[in-house]
Amino acid sequence: MNERGSRREFLRDLGVSAAALPFVLNLPSLAAGEPTRRKQRLIIMFSPNGVQVPTFWPDEVGDTFTLKESLKPLEPFQNRTLILNGVCDRVRGDGDSHMRGIGCLLTGIELFPGNVQGGSDTPAGWSSGISIDQEIKNFLQRDPATRTRFGSLEFGVMVPERADTWTRMSYSGPNKPVAPVDNPYQMFTRLYGRAKDQEHLASVLDELAEDLERVRTRVGAQDRQILDEQMALVRQLERDIQSDRGRDMGHAVPALEPGVRRDNDNMPRISKLQTDLLVSSFQADFARVATYQFTNSVGGARMRWLDINQGHHDLSHMPDSDTTSQEKLTRINKWYCEQLAYLAKRLAETPEPGGAGSLLDNTLIGWTNELGKGNSHTLNNIPFVLVGNGLGFRMGRSLKYPAVPHNRLLLSLAHGFGHRLEKFGNPDFCGAGPLNDLT
Amino acid sequence: MKFRPRFLALALLLSVAGVVSAQTSRGGKKLTGEQIYRQRCAACHGPQGEGSKQYGKPLTGDRSVGELARFIAQAMPPGPGRKCTGEDAQQVAQYLHGAFYSPVAQARLRPARIEVSHITVRQYRNLVADLVGSFRPATPWDERRGLRAEYFRSRRFQQRDRLLERVDPDVQFDWGTANPTGAEFDPHQFSIRWQGSVLVPDTGEYEFVVRTEHAARLWVNDLQQPVVDAWVKSGSDNEFRASLFLVGGRAYPVRLEFSKANQGVDDSGKLAGRPVKKAALRLDWRPPKRAAGPIPRHCLLPGTVSEGFVVTAAFPPDDRSMGYERSTTISKEWNDATTEAALETAGYVVEHLRDLSGAPEDAEDRPARLREFCRQFVSRAFRRPLTDDLARVYVERPFEGVSDPEAAVRRVVLGVLKSPRFLLRDLDGGAADGAETAVRLALSLWDSLPDAELTRAAAAGELATPDQVARQAERMAADPRARAKLRDFFLQWLKVDGAPELQKDPKRFPVFDPLVASDLRTSLELTLDEIVSNPDASFDRLWTDNRVFLNERLARLYGAKLPAGASFQAVDMEPEARSGVLTHPYVLASFAYADSSSPIHRGVLIARNMLGRLLRPPQQAFTPLSVELHPNLTTRERVQLQTGAKGCQTCHGLINPLGFTLERFDAIGRLRQAENGKPVDVSGAYQPSAGSAVRFADSRALAQYVVQSSEAHAAFAERLFQFLVNQPLRAFGPQAPAELSKAFEESKRNLRSLVVRSVTLAASERRPSLPQDSPVRAPSRAEVRRAPRQGEPMPMPNQ
Repeated sequence: MNERGSRREFLRDLGVSAAALPFVLNLPSLAAGEPTRRKQRLIIMFSPNGVQVPTFWPDEVGDTFTLKESLKPLEPFQNRTLILNGVCDRVRGDGDSHMRGIGCLLTGIELFPGNVQGGSDTPAGWSSGISIDQEIKNFLQRDPATRTRFGSLEFGVMVPERADTWTRMSYSGPNKPVAPVDNPYQMFTRLYGRAKDQEHLASVLDELAEDLERVRTRVGAQDRQILDEQMALVRQLERDIQSDRGRDMGHAVPALEPGVRRDNDNMPRISKLQTDLLVSSFQADFARVATYQFTNSVGGARMRWLDINQGHHDLSHMPDSDTTSQEKLTRINKWYCEQLAYLAKRLAETPEPGGAGSLLDNTLIGWTNELGKGNSHTLNNIPFVLVGNGLGFRMGRSLKYPAVPHNRLLLSLAHGFGHRLEKFGNPDFCGAGPLNDLT
Repeated sequence: MKFRPRFLALALLLSVAGVVSAQTSRGGKKLTGEQIYRQRCAACHGPQGEGSKQYGKPLTGDRSVGELARFIAQAMPPGPGRKCTGEDAQQVAQYLHGAFYSPVAQARLRPARIEVSHITVRQYRNLVADLVGSFRPATPWDERRGLRAEYFRSRRFQQRDRLLERVDPDVQFDWGTANPTGAEFDPHQFSIRWQGSVLVPDTGEYEFVVRTEHAARLWVNDLQQPVVDAWVKSGSDNEFRASLFLVGGRAYPVRLEFSKANQGVDDSGKLAGRPVKKAALRLDWRPPKRAAGPIPRHCLLPGTVSEGFVVTAAFPPDDRSMGYERSTTISKEWNDATTEAALETAGYVVEHLRDLSGAPEDAEDRPARLREFCRQFVSRAFRRPLTDDLARVYVERPFEGVSDPEAAVRRVVLGVLKSPRFLLRDLDGGAADGAETAVRLALSLWDSLPDAELTRAAAAGELATPDQVARQAERMAADPRARAKLRDFFLQWLKVDGAPELQKDPKRFPVFDPLVASDLRTSLELTLDEIVSNPDASFDRLWTDNRVFLNERLARLYGAKLPAGASFQAVDMEPEARSGVLTHPYVLASFAYADSSSPIHRGVLIARNMLGRLLRPPQQAFTPLSVELHPNLTTRERVQLQTGAKGCQTCHGLINPLGFTLERFDAIGRLRQAENGKPVDVSGAYQPSAGSAVRFADSRALAQYVVQSSEAHAAFAERLFQFLVNQPLRAFGPQAPAELSKAFEESKRNLRSLVVRSVTLAASERRPSLPQDSPVRAPSRAEVRRAPRQGEPMPMPNQ
């Protein structure tokens, strides 16, 4: 296929008629009089250190396939799952595979030269381009019909407290990494701080009014005015809070389990808190795009709750022949897959506010990784497991592509939102446009 | 700079005719001044001089009886009819001067009183900062300046690689490929950590700028979270910025880390033999309304102070219609700002609860300890010991029925910071007890809370006599917060507190750029800093010292000789012309147009702020005569031409001759001998409210006059008092102005003792103690005491 060809050429080559265009490109229908466009959402979930080829990828291609051990948790959603094999990160340049793996994953473009030295290759800095989640967020925020309070939210779980190439996946522009929030309480404050504030404020107004009255009796008549003014403003505030309650966000402020510390062993609890918050934030329509980053590229979570005491990254270097380690790695990836399944379940059981179906009907989750395989550090066959019906992709399938650059998948995500980019990231890897056969 | 042209209106000129024709005498009986006034003046001016529909301006001012009589004889009543002249004019002038015209009469009519007002914005920010800060270790600083630096011969500050520790005056380094300490090692890799504090002069947004081609991190105030994290060097980004809102007169901890090395995986083993990269690092800032530049040495401290809490909520400006900050009404904007600030503070307190309360999250007795913390918090916020009654309302109730103690703390903080007991001041009129005396001292001197020592003294009954109060005031006046407040007073006295943006005509003053403007401001502030830190500084010195702080850039522009690269130092500048802060080039440049001086603006500054004269704002705006249209005239001549009319002269007769004395200084405050080829005329004159007119040969003579004028001294003392206390001086008794002036003179016009005397006067004022929080809805004693006495005139309209 002519990699440099335009999307139009590609379509012409396929012989697709103009009428089928929206379908192929997964554009929202342009039919006149459609009452409202459905809300569309995207979540990109990340876990590190590659996957175990034998226990991850289904053997079959097409709509009949068996989920292997790593992906078993997705069984309830198999008909809403799309597994893409053969998608490769072709971006090269400065930085080692882990750095490029995460830094180019959503940006599709090289890292800048810099001072961060990896385990091999030359030192590098931040990515030189915007990431696809931020690109789509900007697209949605431009249109008043799809604009939301935050546009996008960046969730994390146990992301190390250092900003470097290995810990950042989302970029708002060249050299502009976006830090994920891995503290659920911090995220809660960001989402619901205002509502909570109003609640607390409302709770002190009675005491305040009472004390104002007492102070008022103490001062002379000439000085009462200032107290009367304050009293009037307190009453006003009371009324304002009352009327704010009338137009809340369609659901109650979620109650968060208090006091969960940021600690390796608490990862399952943190993950649940973050997932619940993510679902609530979508329910409230605070954002239509989210990233969800577990640890970081080279992440070394110790999954003691699975009886695995080594760090994830160290284990991932073990050879294929080390079956004990491979078995552990499979369990680690299965645990991540369980997190994905829980997220999908929560979305599936949450009705779409003001619309039909569930949140999962209008959300696409893409689970990915910085590497194809941990012990080879390959950027080929980067896992992309998609769940949900947000972008109108034909789900319930397992696909194998002949080594297509992942930029084309990034383009497909944008097109899924009706954002018809012709190229994204390094144009050399966008040749044939969005991936065929997704819709 | 561009002024909106403001010329002064005619205070007394009437435009209304309708004169009551009257006779001076009826049946040979001589009329009194009052009778004449009723017959001929009251129709327009109102029976009490309050004005009427035809003429709304109240008849008040500070002219002497003689001046008034002369004016009346010339101009009153307006219109073609017979004027009120001679003995009649004298009579009526005397009457109205004593009845309502003069400031004294006004004071009598409307006795000044200590009014309940809300704290000022400055007080809000400082009170909250010190309230939260009172739960952290106190970290005073001394005169040492610069940052403490540690140098390491490896990339990550390892103790075994430490080369040396020293104090660096600032962070402006270009090491090139050299090694930063002179020690013998291969400078492929090194790291440096600077620690200390930054002392910020003004309140506002500070931008910090780190420039380097290597790894750097900067922390300001919050030492957990860097404001600049440039540890990853990427592409050609070499400049990193972060903005922070900070409160002036305070210090904030800073840390700067620098590492010349690749980060990530250690590659130091592979570096031998490779070319050494260059390295440089600069730490600059841009203070509010100032040009960006290196953080100067005098703003860096080698000691690390405690983190400070900063309220960033935007407040509406305080009411300054009285000439000082004082707000006796609450606007919606102010109320909203206090809500915002309360939420912000509550959030901060909860986030730092362990640090502030000392109660670990997992402590079993945490709820009890948090409750105790809250009691302390409420008591400190209300500036007095907590009664059981108040503890019930402000502490116990928020804790009731809340399972999460952090939520309870949040409610306590919100309740306290919205309470009138926190937001309002002078609820008790006078200082009823030692606690209130302490509050007044702290508000007046620091715009903040009493510190531990003051609270102790109050509790021990050691604030009972004026001498005891004065001793505390003396201690407190030496504190940096008091100095910062006094510095702000001088900026306001010189009317440059808004930090006007100085822009000059680039054709006439090509060298005058934003950097010069910023340096000039720094120069003035250094002068003021010197004055406020010196306990012996006097009012006289403000008018006579001709030293100006200059750096190399300013020296070049103002014709002084300083070595290349010289930083700010006091320079004896043009003793034949300069005399005191009024002749500081920044002040002169601020009171000037972009291309020419402005004797009117300078004159108004002197008349209003320095001599304490009341001038009404102009009724109408005038555009100054253009220089181009009058190429042969000097500025003085142009001003005379434009304001020569008799009507203008009512005010400009006072203003111009004061401003003219500064005509030797051009639009950037540089000395000049001639203008448009003509020698400048710097003679001037002044007619004080009492006594005979004075003539001045130049501004130095004016300064000499001010140094001797008791009228000017009294005006200065009153102004300073009111700035500090936020209440009218006369509210502290009819004798208060005279007492304060006397004390000022007796101290040979020492500034520190005027400050001490002022706050002592305000804080010692005793009113009968009031019932505290009586729940009974009966008129309190305060109410009874304050009700207007029978026959007492009601306040005049328009006042």
